[in-house]
Amino acid sequence: MDLENQKRVKEFAEQYGADNVVVLLGAAEGEAAGLAAETVTLGDPTFAGPLAGVSLGLTCYHVCEPEVKAEFDPDVYDEQISMMEMVLDVDDICSEMNAIRDQL
Amino acid sequence: MSYSVIKGAGYILVHVPGMVMHHGTTQTTEKVVNPGSDYLKELPSHMRSYADCVAYPPNQTYIGNLPIEELAAIPEPWADKKVEKPERFGKFGEIMPEDEFILLMQACDVFDLVRLDKEFVAKTLPKLQKHPLMKQSILDLIKEGDDAADIKRTIEEEHAESLIFEDKTVGYVKRAHDVDVNLSAHVMFENLVSKASEVLSVLHLLNNAGIDAADVDYMIDCSEEACGDMNQRGGGNFAKAAAEIAGLTNATGSDTRGFCAGPSHAIVEAASLVKAGTFKNVVVAGGGCTAKLGMNGKDHVKKGLPILEDCLGGFAVLISENDGKSSEINTEIVGRHRVGTGSAPQAVIGSLVTDPLAEAGMTILDVDKYSPEMQNPDITKPAGAGDVPESNYKMIGALGVKLGQMERKDLPNFVKEHGLKGYAPTQGHIPSGVPYLGYARESIMAGETKNAMIIGKGSLFLGRMTNLFDGISFLVQANTKKNKQKAAASTKVPVIGIAAAGYELDPQNLVDAVEFAANKGCKAIVIDGEDCHAKMEAMLKSGEIDGAVTSHYPFPIGVSTVGRVITPALGKEMFIACTTGTSSTDRAEAMVKNAIYGIIAAKACGIEEPTVGILNSDDSRRCERALLKLKENGYPITFAESCRADGGHMMRGNDVLRGTPDVLACDPLTGNLMMKMFSSFNTGGNFEASGFGYGPGIGGNYGKLILIISRASGAPVIANAVQYASQLAQAGWLKISGDELRKAQQAGLNDVLEEMRSEGKNAFTKPAAKVKAPAKETVTVDIHGVEVTDIDAAVESLWEKGIYAESGMGCTGPVVMVNEAKAEKASAILKEKGFIA
Repeated sequence: MDLENQKRVKEFAEQYGADNVVVLLGAAEGEAAGLAAETVTLGDPTFAGPLAGVSLGLTCYHVCEPEVKAEFDPDVYDEQISMMEMVLDVDDICSEMNAIRDQL
Repeated sequence: MSYSVIKGAGYILVHVPGMVMHHGTTQTTEKVVNPGSDYLKELPSHMRSYADCVAYPPNQTYIGNLPIEELAAIPEPWADKKVEKPERFGKFGEIMPEDEFILLMQACDVFDLVRLDKEFVAKTLPKLQKHPLMKQSILDLIKEGDDAADIKRTIEEEHAESLIFEDKTVGYVKRAHDVDVNLSAHVMFENLVSKASEVLSVLHLLNNAGIDAADVDYMIDCSEEACGDMNQRGGGNFAKAAAEIAGLTNATGSDTRGFCAGPSHAIVEAASLVKAGTFKNVVVAGGGCTAKLGMNGKDHVKKGLPILEDCLGGFAVLISENDGKSSEINTEIVGRHRVGTGSAPQAVIGSLVTDPLAEAGMTILDVDKYSPEMQNPDITKPAGAGDVPESNYKMIGALGVKLGQMERKDLPNFVKEHGLKGYAPTQGHIPSGVPYLGYARESIMAGETKNAMIIGKGSLFLGRMTNLFDGISFLVQANTKKNKQKAAASTKVPVIGIAAAGYELDPQNLVDAVEFAANKGCKAIVIDGEDCHAKMEAMLKSGEIDGAVTSHYPFPIGVSTVGRVITPALGKEMFIACTTGTSSTDRAEAMVKNAIYGIIAAKACGIEEPTVGILNSDDSRRCERALLKLKENGYPITFAESCRADGGHMMRGNDVLRGTPDVLACDPLTGNLMMKMFSSFNTGGNFEASGFGYGPGIGGNYGKLILIISRASGAPVIANAVQYASQLAQAGWLKISGDELRKAQQAGLNDVLEEMRSEGKNAFTKPAAKVKAPAKETVTVDIHGVEVTDIDAAVESLWEKGIYAESGMGCTGPVVMVNEAKAEKASAILKEKGFIA
């Protein structure tokens, strides 16, 4: 996750409280999604950005995960996400995301 | 007005390991943030040599040496693979080494900002002088060089940016202003690199497109740099600056920007400028970018890979007026990401791909190849960005599935069939759609693919002026100018009259023929009554009908008809010239004319270069001699080769059954006989069921479109004859006929025929005095090509010269037989006397 985004996530968590922030990802594959999730939960694994050594423990989902999909208006989801859902390896993304969440 | 075309393309790479370390932002940032990092320490050992860079398969694909399909066949990763024969130059451009490029940078600097070590110049200049495209005007701009001490001092005291070759400082780029950051040494360095690599791309383009530099009217630069001073930071104009060095003396230009989408925007602009007639030749070009060198270096080093981003990329494309053959840019099928489109991938792909196609009534399957961001996956995959082109193909396919244009199970196949392997360096605008233009142009012109969609996408949010995404796409297609001209000759469906005088079969055939013709999209009406010919003539004159199909109709002398049959062996169509009428009272002369009339009919039916064979019969050799002479005089005629082992232009029975030639030249009586056999051999003979009938009367200035059927032609043949007539009318047969006859006249048709007639009368009489045969010898060599009526004269002509000869009948016709030792001389004598061609 780039440094600017880490900074913004950190600021939101401080401003609204970690319990009130959900991070929604749109990464194109499992590894990248996992890295981003790790950054906003356990801390920046590359130790390069503002979240290095900072465990925010935020709730984090990828937009293609079933829990998130269930929250959407189906028409909006179909219009905005369904094509990418077909393209992405959703199972791989879900398992990466679950693996990170399991570490919390 | 017709679409503009892609006249040529140039693609170049420059191997610049020295710039990776000192100018790539990943490295320069690391030096500030983490100067002692392991990455910076390890980096030098991961740099590739020039030879390795040249041998790297994707680089060979970029410059045109390794077809994309062949690259795709090499298993990934490619970092450890080398092509068998690495070449610096390819059909699109080259991979230039860093030392020569540093000299080119100096040539591109007109403000004395680039200074070089004189020893380096002395060593490198001879190399650049050998460059096949380096003009003297460019070489003259390279200065002799400075002392190493002066170079060192300026770098230290004036913060000049070092130029490094093989780890040694060989020169610098200094700042162009004391305080203006826009003219700092760093910015000047980046801009001069961009300009120099752009110039190199243009030099290759000019060479590849075969255009004179002075013929370029306009140039658009579409790189991602900005040049200007503190009062106009992006003032421009790279295009004109590069055009000056490349010698485009009659061009002006401007810069187009749009991040990675810049090149696609620029090409749509260029195509539109040319189509509008504003300019005839517009160059679109982009130079390389130092900042992106080694961009993913950390990942590459971490994974033990070489630094694969060690090359600058450049490209140049020439967009010109339609030449009737080059691939076109269809500016009516242009996709654009609109302000209101949104940024969901679905919306982006919709706006760039499926929306413009849908407007043109096409689906994603109607485009053979898509060229989105053509990044080399060997670079992006280790960096976690995946295979970028492949992701794009999956998205296009998935949207197609959503729109019901294909089945989901066909998705992998779609990616394979409509996709391309990425091979371009990750230089932002360089890989964005345009790398494929060179290959697309060739593939479409060769008929291997019919079209390609070029898709440029740009991340505008990087400039922090908008959060919007951007993109523009266009379709490259086969040239349509020719087809349009044909279509313009007649846009309405011609009306063909059927006047079957003296018809012998059931008249219901005529009614059926009209219906059958309608099924083929043709319009026919029956003209009946005893005076049907008179009515037909009146209707042709008034324009009520565009052509007629008729029987029992006399043509004037000089006109003969070209029939069209379906030959039984292979089901191939063949034009028989002629089937009735009389083009000349001399048989051989008639056959020559018939051959030309056959060519006219075949061309009017869409065969661009019909092959001509001569029916192996009496007088056929005379006909062949005349046609060969016409060809020699410049009349374009393509001869068919007999399918028999001994080949030749004479068509045997086998060839006739197989339809070996497109046009079979013969005399009218034989042609007529063949027509009837081909049309009715399978019906018992009294009902002509197959073929297109006896064809149109052609000859001289005969201008009426009248095609002959027989009184025994059945409904299918009459319907085909109507179709034949419609084709001729739509193709503008009269103009084609006029053009063809004019070409034959220009090649001396009248003289050739006159010569042939006089030969017939005089030349081949036997020698006046009684000639005695020389002593008999063994005759084993056959000389072909003498007309049967001339065979005795030919033999005696040889006797007269002391060569023993006999006449005989070979399997293809008459032969003169001589002793092997004398064959050459005998042939020469017969040729000199005109017996053979």
